[in-house]
Amino acid sequence: MSETDKKIADCYLGIDLGSSYTKFVVVGNDGTILFKEVIATLSRKRDQFEKNMDEIARRFDIQKTCSTGYGRDSYSGDMQKTELICASAGVSAIVDCHKSVIDIGGEDIKIIESDPNGSVVQFYMNDKCSAGTGAFITEIAEKAELEIGEMDEFARRSNSERMINSFCTVFAKTEILGWKFKGVPIEDIARGIYLSIVDRIAKMPIPGGLDIYLCGGVIRFHPYLRDLLAEKIAEKITIVPDPQFIVALGAAELSRKSNSH
Amino acid sequence: MALKSQVVLKDILKTYFGSLKAPIAWCTSVGPAEILRALGFEVYFPENHGALLGASRLAGKYIPKAHQAGFSGEICSYLTADIGAWIAGETPLTALYGLKSIPHPDLIVFNTNQCREVDEWFSYFGREFDCPVVGVYPPRYLEEIGQHDIDNVVVQFQKVIAVGEKVIGKKLDYERLKEVLRLSRDGSRLWKKVLDTAQKKPSPLTFFDGVILMAPIVILRGTQTCIDFYEEALEELTALVDQKFGAVPDEQVRIYWEGMPIWGRLRSMSELFINNQATIVASTYCNSWIFDDFDPEQPLASMARAYTQIFINRGEETKLAMMRQMLDEFNIDGVIFHDCKTCFNNTNSRFGLPKRIREEVGVDTLSIDGDLNDLRFFSDGQSRTRLETFIEQLKAKKQDAGRKSNV
Ligand code: SF4
Repeated sequence: MSETDKKIADCYLGIDLGSSYTKFVVVGNDGTILFKEVIATLSRKRDQFEKNMDEIARRFDIQKTCSTGYGRDSYSGDMQKTELICASAGVSAIVDCHKSVIDIGGEDIKIIESDPNGSVVQFYMNDKCSAGTGAFITEIAEKAELEIGEMDEFARRSNSERMINSFCTVFAKTEILGWKFKGVPIEDIARGIYLSIVDRIAKMPIPGGLDIYLCGGVIRFHPYLRDLLAEKIAEKITIVPDPQFIVALGAAELSRKSNSH
Repeated sequence: MALKSQVVLKDILKTYFGSLKAPIAWCTSVGPAEILRALGFEVYFPENHGALLGASRLAGKYIPKAHQAGFSGEICSYLTADIGAWIAGETPLTALYGLKSIPHPDLIVFNTNQCREVDEWFSYFGREFDCPVVGVYPPRYLEEIGQHDIDNVVVQFQKVIAVGEKVIGKKLDYERLKEVLRLSRDGSRLWKKVLDTAQKKPSPLTFFDGVILMAPIVILRGTQTCIDFYEEALEELTALVDQKFGAVPDEQVRIYWEGMPIWGRLRSMSELFINNQATIVASTYCNSWIFDDFDPEQPLASMARAYTQIFINRGEETKLAMMRQMLDEFNIDGVIFHDCKTCFNNTNSRFGLPKRIREEVGVDTLSIDGDLNDLRFFSDGQSRTRLETFIEQLKAKKQDAGRKSNV
């Protein structure tokens, strides 16, 4: 049996070239997820991308590829779509209802009203500063001497209502320093960081009356954000499975659907 | 495809800048240029210079110089770029038209119908050149314009005339003013016709053509050259309409641009829209130089009305009504609001207008952050993501509507 014979036929690839990580998802012709992988976007080992692509090429017969994310132009696939369009399509591959999608990413927060077919009805992005995004959490946690992996657990142990006031990462860091001088417990600091993010998100124009689905890399490491958000906002809020792959899944789905048209 | 008119324009601009010899009056872009021309001044427009600094991407070099001289980095970046270039002793007019410096003024006139920033900007140069400065301060943000508002502005125009007469040493010839006003009105009507060719589907011109073609209505308003230019441009565009030529191949969505252009990104933005089959067919900006109400028989009163009733000087209700009409006439699918960091005055997304357009007019909107000249306030990547998503959103809705109407 030759190499090609072993390949799974009629597959579609989505590549999400995000600011921190690049995600790959392959779906079959019925939309089943057959493969997913994540690598650092700006890895010094540049051949990691190629290695992944080689593996995908070896195992799957890719009909079409769609790239997305800020780096979508750096890969010349069959189509390129923005990460908002793909997030909407990705969540719609899992739930086919009229909904809101909140994607908390490394450098921005996106709110998308998504129709049952996965089309974007309207959207909102914060982009003037990174407050409330993955980059914000990483910087503040570092100042607070909190490991990213332990933040969620610490925060759950606190009932404090204290939160960071400033939108600016630099000022927020100064605030955290003040808390530390005052001896604020680490649990309260962890919760305080989350509360400030949730407060930020809750003030964004989230469409009313729709179920909310959370996706993106941040929610994967900080699921407690969902609980806090649910307390603040009256809507039903769900974290989608594999939240950091949703955008790549959406890209794969869009390439699959474009082939059937 | 570059329009033939754009090529002709190059020569016109060369002649214009070459003709800027004393006596020279500086004027704001929607200031009473007709009075100055009728008095016998050559008229120079610092905002045009500001836009040139932006389009040639020199603004980034000069803005910090103005900042060092005490001007905030968050105020009008025409002002900061222009003053910064002056401090540096440089101007793109040297390379383009052989001028040693910006033309020195004998008189400076501004109208705050657009913003108060022009007062500070022009007054700075008044001090630099030790030259008389006259400001017109009309009532601002009006919904209705009453006779008392007109009278108020007429009195202020009379002051411009009095100071102008003193500087130039002769009385204003009112017959000449009427003639200049007639030329201005005819030029402005032709400019409107040029812009209105974009009502056709596909549109033969885009906002990115418009911001180039608009130069004569700004800097040569009230001259025969301006009229001749727009007659030619109109002929060219009408022929393109007849050929069903679309400036954007395969035009799928039609967009209205609200706010200032991003001068340093005209080309890349134009390409982005072309690549996404979207045409910006209308804008508040290009339409700001349509002065239908000029009446040569009542020169001062009609100028007072025309210059006071411009979009930027109106209340939110009137702005909404003006936009509603344009969105309808141009068959607009979506509105892009440019939230321009350093021009609060030309930014209309901050008092709820986008939401009202969506809910009351039923047209989708998008706001993007940027600036007219200071590219530090603009992110190519983030804007592109927003614009492409928005265009896709509009396309999906149109397809959906098309499918439904086929059922
Ligand atoms: S309207 Fe805006 S861009 Fe024009 S001069 Fe005033 S502040 Fe500057």
